[in-house]
Formats: sequence, structure tokens, C-alpha cells
Amino acid sequence: MVLVESRVTAVRRSERRVGAAPAAASRPAARNQMLTLLREGSGHRPSVDPGLAGGLRAWLEDAAGELSCARGESASPLFLGPRTLLAAPAPAAWEGRADPFSLELATSSLVRALFRQLVIAGSVGDPLTDGLDALRVDPARAELVSFIETLGTTRRAELADTVGIHLAHVADITPRFSPGWLPRTGDRVAIPLAGGRVVLSGVFDLLVGAPVPGTASVCAIGLTTSGRWARGRMTLHYLSLLETLRNGAPPFRLALVHSGAGRYAVEDVREEHLRALVAHLAAHLTALAQDRA
Amino acid sequence: MPDLVDGRCLTSVLLEPVDGTDDVPAAVRSIPRTLAALAVSSRGAGPLRLTDHDIRSALSSDGSVATGLPFSWSARTARRALGLDAVRSLLSGEAKTPAHAVGATLARMARVRSGDRPSSSMEVWVAGLPAGARSAAEAEAVTWATRLWNALDWTAFPSPPLIGRDHWWDSPHSSLLALRSRAEVRSVVPGEQPATVHLVVLGGTRRPTVRSELCVVALVEALRAGRSAPPGRVVGWWPDSGHIARVDVNRAALDEGVAAVAQTLGTGSPRARTGGGTGKAA
Repeated sequence: MVLVESRVTAVRRSERRVGAAPAAASRPAARNQMLTLLREGSGHRPSVDPGLAGGLRAWLEDAAGELSCARGESASPLFLGPRTLLAAPAPAAWEGRADPFSLELATSSLVRALFRQLVIAGSVGDPLTDGLDALRVDPARAELVSFIETLGTTRRAELADTVGIHLAHVADITPRFSPGWLPRTGDRVAIPLAGGRVVLSGVFDLLVGAPVPGTASVCAIGLTTSGRWARGRMTLHYLSLLETLRNGAPPFRLALVHSGAGRYAVEDVREEHLRALVAHLAAHLTALAQDRA
Repeated sequence: MPDLVDGRCLTSVLLEPVDGTDDVPAAVRSIPRTLAALAVSSRGAGPLRLTDHDIRSALSSDGSVATGLPFSWSARTARRALGLDAVRSLLSGEAKTPAHAVGATLARMARVRSGDRPSSSMEVWVAGLPAGARSAAEAEAVTWATRLWNALDWTAFPSPPLIGRDHWWDSPHSSLLALRSRAEVRSVVPGEQPATVHLVVLGGTRRPTVRSELCVVALVEALRAGRSAPPGRVVGWWPDSGHIARVDVNRAALDEGVAAVAQTLGTGSPRARTGGGTGKAA
């Protein structure tokens, strides 16, 4: 793994690399630093074992089949995302229950919306205004928008300050990807298992690069706003697994940005990450099936 | 079960030579009268200008398709139209990347709003968006367009494909009935007997009724074909999962399309399939 300390010249220490938000004068350099880390070695992108995706899928299919049998043939499809799957198994909550709205959820949603704007437009105006406007064109966010709009003056100011800090960090760190890199935000992946009765789903915050059959060619950039770094990293590995099942090849490299602290890490996707994730998911699905039985 | 393919395979599945369309022109001859009879017997029982959404809603037995909600523009409902316009620009060489193409489309809409010609409802909606909302709509459309752009090998098409034109078939026997075929990419596969092929971008969950939905696309294309090339294949593709569902067009596929229309019209459909769903029609 390669570790990189920001504000100083990148130094290779391990395969995982970590940076921090830079001083104003060095912002473009910091953005270029992440870009450099994502591109490094891209001329020799690894070929992917053509049997990898099939093997991983078969492993998951066994566990999903077990769960599907436990739920019964007539049950509606069960959608599982990283929030459910990467937590410790909690069978009582497995059918899912909406989280109550909170400032944490509002911050996460607003920062993600502003991240998209930054990638697409290159700049953001007033963070809270732009973020809320972005959420308003998504009907699924109507209740969250309503929650934010009805916050008291103090809490709303607190939210605006927090979102502003997150955005400043993200803007400092995130490269301005050339359109030629084909940056796309909010790319949803949904992998049906057990004939569609169990669906593993997730959303990439940002993908760059064109998929090339048989080659790990795309890079994925993920955000964590909560500071749960290990969970954020695991979520990126989970999405890498779904991408492998979707396109036959995992991403080439991952970057995880902690918007609250202004830190980021870049790492390669390794087969052992995918295998570890599949083992975890299979165990989780099996636990759900046993609970159901 | 649907096949899982990569981008190269999706192109070859769509464009591989078509055989077995011999019976399509003959099979389609009696269908307009059958459909007109269905329309008459269903009068008042349901919509008679049927879209893919109507078909999907009618075939869905679990209520998973939202019905009856008033339409409104959102980043999600606008992304397909914006994305298709972007892919057209990319194919024509007017734009180099999906981001450039979507940006140009939105800029053009803003100019139209300022008086070039009468505005569509989407143009009015886009032009009224503040910066944050416009970026959200743009981001959705860029992602939609990039996924389609990356999914196909565009150099493999024998001639420039038609991007995203909806086709309507109006019944010659019943002014009440019209059917829509929605496909994102259409092309003609050359050969001894040229045939049209159609790629449909699918959303939502993988569902057992998808084959019937695609058969309706095949039915509309067959009804519209006249002396032109008949439809040879309809391929449905889920960008979320990379799966495809393929229908090779023949008499059985057309019958299944008629059955799906009958079910949508509320006149019963003993042959509408709700199990299986993909692979070649028998």
C-alpha cells in the first residue's frame, strides 16, 4: 500500500495513500495530486480473470438462494444496500426501516448534491441554496427538503456552516476531471440474485474512465461525510464488487474522500478485497435466511 | 433467464445476423383487425393510446409500477430526453463527450426559451431551473448518456443508428387505438433479408413480464413496417445490472405482443406470459 501525506511531496510508504486538504495556495496542486495518484500506473492496467465475476456471483447466488427459499416464492424482491449489508448482522431490522431525518442525513445528502455540481459545473454558489435546489428536482427527496426547510434559524445556520466546510474540503481535494474522462455521478448498480428475488444495490458517487472489457479500467471516487472511514472504505469495496458483477471487471483504483476532515485515500482494487466482501455478504445473507427460518 | 454481457457483447447481440423473419409479414396481416376488435370490446375499460408504461403497468401483478400519479419534470424524468439528444450529438460529431453534449443541449434549451421557437414543457422547465437544480438535472443526464455511450461499440453499426425516436402505430380499423414502441437505438441489419433491430433501455427491477413488454415493441414495429424491412430483434438492456433480455421476432413473439395488448386493454390475455421472460421466442 502507498501512503501519501498531503502538503508535502508524495512519498510512497504503502499501497494505500492518504492526503489532507491543502492550504489555499496549493489547492490546484492538491487536486492534481489525487489525479496523479489515480492515474499512476494506468498504462499497465491489470487484465481481469474472465472467470472472476462468475465465481463471485456463484458464491453469492448460493447464499441468496437460501435466503430466497426462507422468504418464500411469493415474497417481493428484497433490496439490500450497503447500509444494511455492511452493518453487523441485525436480523430484526432486515426488512428495512427508514431512518428518521437528521442533520447528519441532511449534511450527507447536501454534500453529495454539491459534489455532483462541482464535478459537472466546476463551481458552486451558496452551498445551502444550491444543495437544496438540487434536492428539489428529485421527488424522492421531498420529505428531506421539507425537513431542512422547517429547521429553526439556529439549526439551519449550523447546517449551512457544516455543509460549507465539507464543500470547501471536497473542492480543495477533488480534481476537475476533463470531460474526456467521462465523469458520471450517481451511477446506480443493482445486481439481481436468486432470479431477481434478492437485489444488491448501491450508487457510485463518481466513476471516471470508460469500461474496457476484460480490463480494470475505471476509477471510483466515494465520499464519506460521517467520518466512518472504515465503513466508507468497505462501501467502496462493496461497490467495486457490484461493478465486477455488472461489467466483468472491477474498478482499477478507488479514492475515498472524507469531506468533514478534508482527507482522502487512494488504493488499488485487489481480488482479496472482493473475496472478503463476498464472504461477508454471503454470511450476512445466510444469517438473514436463518433468522427468517 | 437474461444474459449478462459486456459492452462488446451487447453490440454483437444487437447486430448479429437475423434469420427467421420469413413468417413476420404473413403473421402480421390479420393482427390489425384482431387489435381493433379488442379495442371495441374494451371501450371504456382502459387507455387506448397505449405506451410502454401502460403495458408495463398492466402486466405488473405486484403493483410495483406507479400508476395514476400526475407527470412532472424532474432530474429523473428529464434525463432520458436530454441523454438521447446528447448521444445524437456524439454520433453526429457535434460533441466530443457526453458532458459537452448535455451542456450544449441545455444551453440550446435556454436559447429556445428566449424566443427562437415555441418552447416544449421540458424547455420551459429547464430554463426556469436555478443553478443547483440545473446541475442536478445535467448530472443525471450525463450519467444516463455516458452509460449508453459506453455500452455499445458504435463503429460496429453498418449505418448510423436512429437514436430514441418513439414510433406510433395508429390502427386503420379503430380510430380509438394507437400503440407506441419506445426504443433508444434502432438500426438495420443487412443481409439477404434486411431486418430492423431495436435496443430498449430498461429500468426498474428485472421482471418476468419483460419479454411481453419487448414483444409489444416488436408488434408495433411489425405493424408499421409495411414493405420496409421487418423487425428482426428487440433487445432490452438494464444498465444497472448489465443484463439483457432478447426477443427474436417471429409469429410467437407477435402473438405474445397481442396478448400483452389485450391484457392492457383489460380484455383478458390467456397467452400473456408472466413466467420466464427471455431468450429466443419458440
